[in-house]
Amino acid sequence: MYSVPERITLFSAGSAAVGAVYPAIMAHTGGHGIPCPLRTLTGVPCPFCGLTTATVALTHGEWATAARTSPLACLVAILAVGTAPVLLARTTGLASAPRQASSTARKRITWGAYVIVALSWLFQLHRYGFI
Amino acid sequence: MAYQGTPSYSGAPASQYSDWIHRVGAYLIETIPVFIIYLIAFVTGKFIVISLFGLIALAYIIWNRWILGGQGQSLGKKALNMKLISEETGQPIGTLNAFVRDICHIVDSIICYIGYLFPLWDAKRQTIADKIMRTVVVPV
Repeated sequence: MYSVPERITLFSAGSAAVGAVYPAIMAHTGGHGIPCPLRTLTGVPCPFCGLTTATVALTHGEWATAARTSPLACLVAILAVGTAPVLLARTTGLASAPRQASSTARKRITWGAYVIVALSWLFQLHRYGFI
Repeated sequence: MAYQGTPSYSGAPASQYSDWIHRVGAYLIETIPVFIIYLIAFVTGKFIVISLFGLIALAYIIWNRWILGGQGQSLGKKALNMKLISEETGQPIGTLNAFVRDICHIVDSIICYIGYLFPLWDAKRQTIADKIMRTVVVPV
């Protein structure tokens, strides 16, 4: 059993693997990446726009590009890298199962996540020239 | 209100719900036949063949996701020993609700498909569509 940060780390590892080969796939298929449905329909970006581009940039060492495209992706990457040792310890049996977070802790983390997502949305709105 | 006599899944620990990777696995198992159908159709390049295969794919979706899914186990979920049930009654949600739940997946998709990642951190491993429809996916 893994904690939420560890599950996000596992997902991030998978995303990084896809991001590493994504440009090759797009070049071969002539694709243009995954469009955001909200932006496609309305022109308005969502808080998560830029994640694909930033993930590809991070896996290719283009830190500045990743930060300019999606600071949220960079934050998740930092979380994933920081959590990786714990995940490794848990997988190899060196660490015990994670403790359930208290209700108060979960609420604080949830509100923190809402703030981060809201800031990401403001960033994307600015990136696309809305503010 | 929870159905009396049937255990409600509300408030159960996260480990009681199917995790994200299994849900993705079930989706891939179900989607591969549709993908193959479309691939065969597009290779032919003929409009009538593409249209016919489109109808076959639609019939498959109706049968698998709404009829079987409404009964609790689409093909993918059956293969990976999971079932889709109402959070409140613990029972399958029926064909109509399964269809409405798929419509609700628009909300999961509209925000760069992040809604589909909610089971990674949600306490009940629900997508946004699951939250709207009050459904959960649990191991059998």
